[in-house]
Amino acid sequence: MKPLAALTVLGLLVLLGLGASGLFPRPELPLPEHVAAAWGARNLVATIVLGARLWDTLFEILIYAMAIVGVKLGLRPVRWEGAGPPVAETPLLRRAADLLLGPVIVFALYVATSGHLGPGGGFPAGALLGTGLLLLLALAKGVERLSAEVHEPTLEWVKYGAIVAILALTGVVLVLGRKGSPYLIAANLLITVEVAIGAWVILHRFAKSRGEL
Amino acid sequence: MEGLTALALAIALLGVGLWTLIVRRNLIWKLLGLNVASSGAILFLVALAHRPAARPPITGLGPGPSADPLPHALVLTAIVIDFATLALALVFVIVLTERRHTQDVRRLERDEEHGWPER
Repeated sequence: MKPLAALTVLGLLVLLGLGASGLFPRPELPLPEHVAAAWGARNLVATIVLGARLWDTLFEILIYAMAIVGVKLGLRPVRWEGAGPPVAETPLLRRAADLLLGPVIVFALYVATSGHLGPGGGFPAGALLGTGLLLLLALAKGVERLSAEVHEPTLEWVKYGAIVAILALTGVVLVLGRKGSPYLIAANLLITVEVAIGAWVILHRFAKSRGEL
Repeated sequence: MEGLTALALAIALLGVGLWTLIVRRNLIWKLLGLNVASSGAILFLVALAHRPAARPPITGLGPGPSADPLPHALVLTAIVIDFATLALALVFVIVLTERRHTQDVRRLERDEEHGWPER
């Protein structure tokens, strides 16, 4: 086993050295501006994340979903006695949450849908939406009432549906080779849904089991 | 110059994070140190993308070179994965505390050798 491993490492090193030696001609890389123009986008980062390095993004989404499943399963056997310490409730916080709820949702949707033209994209929008919604709703209602009102399994099925939709969409795009801004907008929106629900689930679980350590 | 400042800050963050990770005995402090170190790594990558007098990697903002978009794309994924893995690690610490009633690494190791205390 050991000689095999040593041989593998040596082979990899030789391959690396051959690649770095300049014996083989390097492929001419297109200018990022031209690639972005072909995708109908202006944000170069969005074209890389959803175009040239799509596999990275897909596997990142899968890792994210698996981490959330791990959080869920890990916190399930934890039993705590009684409810945690109550969250302080003031009318000021509740009013502020009521006021901020709409703008946060609208801004997250704006960031998601304009992610291919300017700063933004699915991941920042999802983080905004998930953390913002959970924090504001928990401030306004309290975590216990929130978890009684929101049916979390439905949210999770929506998340799995979003992942399947992302895989189907990117598969179709990869097979057909169609490039364009509609694909970027749809992918960004789906990633927003996935990341937002993931952040929601994680923060909700942690907020429910507060005061445990 | 901004690139150099960001590089120095990134290396300082990495040092502080690794120091906390090694020296502190509490598991939660260790995780915090790991997260600070990973922010240092992220800042390092963003600083690598910087070029003198560069504009953001968005076309149509005017002439001149743009910052390298590839590290930005890498960092975008790294931040989200950081969040998810930190949450998972904290869950493991919660379960460990639930079972062993301590987060002290040295005590955990000592109990591992001499047997777990009855609770």
